[in-house]
Amino acid sequence: MPRLPLGDWVDNAVDFLQNHLSWLFDAIGSVVSGMYDGINAVLSAPEPLLLAGILAVLAWWLRSLVAGVLTFGGFALIDSIELWDESMETLSLVLVATIIVLVISIPLGIWASRSKTVSSIVRPVLDLMQTMPAMVYLIPGVVFFGIGVVPGIIATIIFALPPGVRMTELGIRQVDEELVEAAEAFGTSPRNTLMRVQLPLALQTIMAGINQVIMLGLSMVVIAGMVGGGGLGGAVYRALGNIDIGLGFEAGLSVVILAVYLDRITGSLSLQVSPVGRRALAKAKELTGGLKIWNHRPQPVVAIAGVVVLALVAGGIGMFGGSSSGSTTADAKNVGQGKKISMGYIPWDEGIASTFLWKELLEQRGYEVDARQYEAGSLYTGQAAGQIDIQTDSWLPVTHATYWAKYKDKLEDMGAWYDKTSLEISVPSYVKGINSLADLKGKSSTFKGRIVGIEPSAGEMGLLKDKVLKAYGLDTEYKLIDGSTSGMLAELKRAYAKKEPIAVVLWSPHWAYNDYDLTKLADPKKAFGAESDGVHTLARKGFSADNPQVATWLKDFSMTEKQLTSLEAKIQVTGKDKEQEAVRAWLKENPGVADKWTPVAPSGKPGKAASGKDERERPLQVAWFPWEEDIAATYLWKAVLEERGYTMNLKQFEVGPMYAAMARGQIDVQFDGWLPNTQKRYWDKYHESLHNLGSWYGPTSLEIAVPSYVKGVDSLDDLKGREDEFKGRIVGIEAGTETMNILKDKVLPEYGLDKSYQVVDSSTPSMLAELKRAYAKKEPVAVMLWTPHWAYSEYELTKLKDPKKAFGEGDRLTTVTNKAFPENYPQLTKWFKDFKLSEQQLAGLENEIQKRGTGHEEEAVKAWMADNPGIADTMAPQ
Amino acid sequence: MSRLQAEHLYKVFGRRPDEAVTKLENGIDRDELRTDGTTAAVIDASFSVEPGQIFVVMGLSGSGKSTLLRMLNGLLDPTSGRVLFDGQDLTALSPQELRHVRSTKISMVFQHFALFPHRSVLENAGYGLEVQGVPRAEREKRAAEALELTGLGGWEASWPDELSGGMQQRVGLARALATDADLLLMDESFSALDPLIRRDMQDQLLQLQKRLKKTIVFITHDLNEAMRLGDRIAVMRDGEIVQLGSAEDILVTPANDYVASFTQDVDRSRVLTAGAIMADPETAFGVRTDGGKELRTAQQVLDAAPASVAESTPIIELFTPCSTSAIPVAVTDDTGKLVGVVPRARLLAVLGEPMTPSVPVDAPAGIAVSKATTGKAVASA
Repeated sequence: MPRLPLGDWVDNAVDFLQNHLSWLFDAIGSVVSGMYDGINAVLSAPEPLLLAGILAVLAWWLRSLVAGVLTFGGFALIDSIELWDESMETLSLVLVATIIVLVISIPLGIWASRSKTVSSIVRPVLDLMQTMPAMVYLIPGVVFFGIGVVPGIIATIIFALPPGVRMTELGIRQVDEELVEAAEAFGTSPRNTLMRVQLPLALQTIMAGINQVIMLGLSMVVIAGMVGGGGLGGAVYRALGNIDIGLGFEAGLSVVILAVYLDRITGSLSLQVSPVGRRALAKAKELTGGLKIWNHRPQPVVAIAGVVVLALVAGGIGMFGGSSSGSTTADAKNVGQGKKISMGYIPWDEGIASTFLWKELLEQRGYEVDARQYEAGSLYTGQAAGQIDIQTDSWLPVTHATYWAKYKDKLEDMGAWYDKTSLEISVPSYVKGINSLADLKGKSSTFKGRIVGIEPSAGEMGLLKDKVLKAYGLDTEYKLIDGSTSGMLAELKRAYAKKEPIAVVLWSPHWAYNDYDLTKLADPKKAFGAESDGVHTLARKGFSADNPQVATWLKDFSMTEKQLTSLEAKIQVTGKDKEQEAVRAWLKENPGVADKWTPVAPSGKPGKAASGKDERERPLQVAWFPWEEDIAATYLWKAVLEERGYTMNLKQFEVGPMYAAMARGQIDVQFDGWLPNTQKRYWDKYHESLHNLGSWYGPTSLEIAVPSYVKGVDSLDDLKGREDEFKGRIVGIEAGTETMNILKDKVLPEYGLDKSYQVVDSSTPSMLAELKRAYAKKEPVAVMLWTPHWAYSEYELTKLKDPKKAFGEGDRLTTVTNKAFPENYPQLTKWFKDFKLSEQQLAGLENEIQKRGTGHEEEAVKAWMADNPGIADTMAPQ
Repeated sequence: MSRLQAEHLYKVFGRRPDEAVTKLENGIDRDELRTDGTTAAVIDASFSVEPGQIFVVMGLSGSGKSTLLRMLNGLLDPTSGRVLFDGQDLTALSPQELRHVRSTKISMVFQHFALFPHRSVLENAGYGLEVQGVPRAEREKRAAEALELTGLGGWEASWPDELSGGMQQRVGLARALATDADLLLMDESFSALDPLIRRDMQDQLLQLQKRLKKTIVFITHDLNEAMRLGDRIAVMRDGEIVQLGSAEDILVTPANDYVASFTQDVDRSRVLTAGAIMADPETAFGVRTDGGKELRTAQQVLDAAPASVAESTPIIELFTPCSTSAIPVAVTDDTGKLVGVVPRARLLAVLGEPMTPSVPVDAPAGIAVSKATTGKAVASA
């Protein structure tokens, strides 16, 4: 029978889709993740107990007082076992998936109910969707959408779609035909028949479908945890990986609480919203009669009022909490203690922007800042005399060269915070084909022969007239119009609004680049000068000694063009004399920059990413596998890097998805690359999108180990014929890992063990649990192990010799990063490259972690670091 | 002009219906068609209904009467033939035009009431008006009037599931009447009701009809109902109309054994009327009264007769007067003029077996016999 390459075809199809429709997937991805973020933000905004209250009022309204009380209890329990955030993530995930499912399935169900053809096409597709193991959807999900919530939601949608479609179709089809006929007999249009008769009567069935959709969604959400969907699924998956029964139970219980709540609420909702259901309720009420307190339910108006009041309280507390925490942090950041600092500035856009930015930043840090405007000459003179502490708008080395030459002995240069200044002529981007000054030649009719200039006294104007225009032969063709900066900008605005061609004299940085889409004309002949200025911060002599903290901040200060121009634009629109207000608004829009520029905690020398930003600003996405050496290395780096001011997000993964995610740039680094052998497959597939930062430990070895009390087994050869003793089993680790493949496909056949022994797929923690259990009972057991491993120091084990070298050469533990990592983290790249652990160090660390147990990794690392002083500085020298 | 006219209507379900119609026109049997998987539900149905008439289509289930009814308002499209409503060919209308006709001019009452369970009684009654787009206030006023008409005033706020079957069908009737449609199609509308309630509803329909003078096509499988309600009756069998005529026609001169077998169970005394069985007034001349006086003029007959009845009186009402006197009961027209007499013997004779269809309609055999025997019976008495 020839092998039908069905899987290859699917592979190819997926590749094709990925190559040609990635824009579509990206669009879907951003819609889905946007919805998720929105709903999650709403759900996680209020205090947990308040939201529990809101949910309880809903349950009371829709069901009964008892239901309300139980709801509150259930959600309070979730809060108390600290799974609230995860639960809300899960709830958001389910809600997003449900909403999308409904948007798709109800119209599809209606269509199917009206057309036999559609119905007969849709049915087998739904069957396929529902019976295909749900986890399979995760694979293309990850390929198309990367890791995170999106593939989880997509898989959930696919999995939960069928009942929505089916129940809609069924509900409509089972509406009494005589009723439909009656509607038609009275001349109802098909559309109105649907809206007025079929849908209202089918609503109860459709709601039952929605209920099923939600339940399936919840079950799928747990599986979505495997691809980084987070929430309770993530918790369950983590618990599974670590055989953490406690966490598993708690997370599972939370899922159950959510499931029961959603089930009962949608069940009741179907009675409340469907007309038929309401009739049934009313009849039941007539039967039971009388109002009992148990049956009392608030009227809809009361219930809604209750929900609104609770929500308002929730919002209010949120705001109150926010403002109070804000003021306390301000106290903690009161570095300046009211110390006075004076600033001076020249009324240039970037000067105003940076000065008021620093005025605001320093005032936030407790300084009293006085900012005054000066003319350039007097500013330098005043500063040299010690009357002005700082100015932030010194264009060096060219423009302000004369002042600098004159006063440099009395000033301190704090360095350039912006170094991409340039002078240029710019045209709007809608003027096509003009990219360089040379392109202007012969186009004078387009621009009416004009270049709109600024003040004739400005240096740039002189440069243009004397040098630039001549250099490009434009002096005869164009007239440089003298005017003013504001006039030039007004003209630019007018022309831009009408999409007229215009050429203006500009310079960078300028807010006009933020407000308008302009092309800076290239200057290939360097006519504006080869050397460009940086915008420097200058301080009076002695300022650093008086204000070391501010000096450090100023020295580290840098702004990107985008930051600067957006700040300038903000100041521009806010209006004159409201500069500081504009700065505040801008800071609010750019959260985190204040803390970056004026960090309160002492910090070491920051690395600068290629973007010019502090690389620590970007949280580091670290993937880890639940393997001991990786837990050790990952948590060690976490401890060290957090001391160095980095933020690390740890995510547990399977090897395959991890490599896929890293290749997409969603993961920055992982420390457990078993290369060149074990993870060869992934490396070969993705190496173009990855970086190998070198090995930190090695060599490793793979082996089968047996407890030493099993006598006479020292080599793999010795296992032969003793399968009864070992019950014919070799306890393996995660199926699909290269290690397992080598064991099954190569090692066992090599030693003739493949017939007599079976390799049991499990997981590393399960394998260790099995080893522990067997060891305690002194039962013979053979396990898949590797060196380094703490099990060797914990138990007396014999590593079975591999005389035929079937396991191959040993791997080295390698740090693998994504392609952009060295650019994003130049400092870390260096540290990671230099990282090494000795066998003794690693074993000691693993042991410490093992001893303290799951969930205490960080303290174990701290303890180990205390025993190994200086390790942090070795790993990350300051 | 007839209000409603059906011209050679055919309805065939299954493959290639048009071919099937041609075959049927050429005289192929319905059963032969069925072997091809094609079902002829209605075959060559033609009739016309006059304004204000109740036209009953009677037949057993599967005879095609419901299919026929649904072609009359375009719920089903005839395979062949035309339906003329006030001269307008419904089969030629676009779906929108057809819906407009249905919402304003033709309404329908269903066998199982077909009330919308998610609407109150008032909302149900006003449904047709809602479809027409009548504003709420007027819609509710007219729906309430229609409910009042069917005797359901005061139940507006109730729900269909709170009503008995009879009341539900009154809502169904009110819904049909509320739109002021000229033509009412009633599909076995009383079949699902208890016999007593069914009778009530029939009476009520007849009373309403006296006031409203709608044109009604009524479907039933119950011949008694057909005879009670129908001004004209079409008897259907296997998709074909086998007889078309008045109640008396069908009862007295069934077109074939099938129709005859139907009429066996009919209570003739309630269906047959004095006008249908009366003999010429002259047959009473020569009869002597108890006092020995011989009747010679119409006036004398009228004076001596034990009772004088209208032509529409069911004959069951003649038994008591006949039993008290040997003089025939007089039958008069609206002006009180003697138009016929019903002698005792004749009354007994018509209750017997139905007459054989071989006899021409204008000279029924039974009646001829009774005519011949009347004199003798009277003489011997």
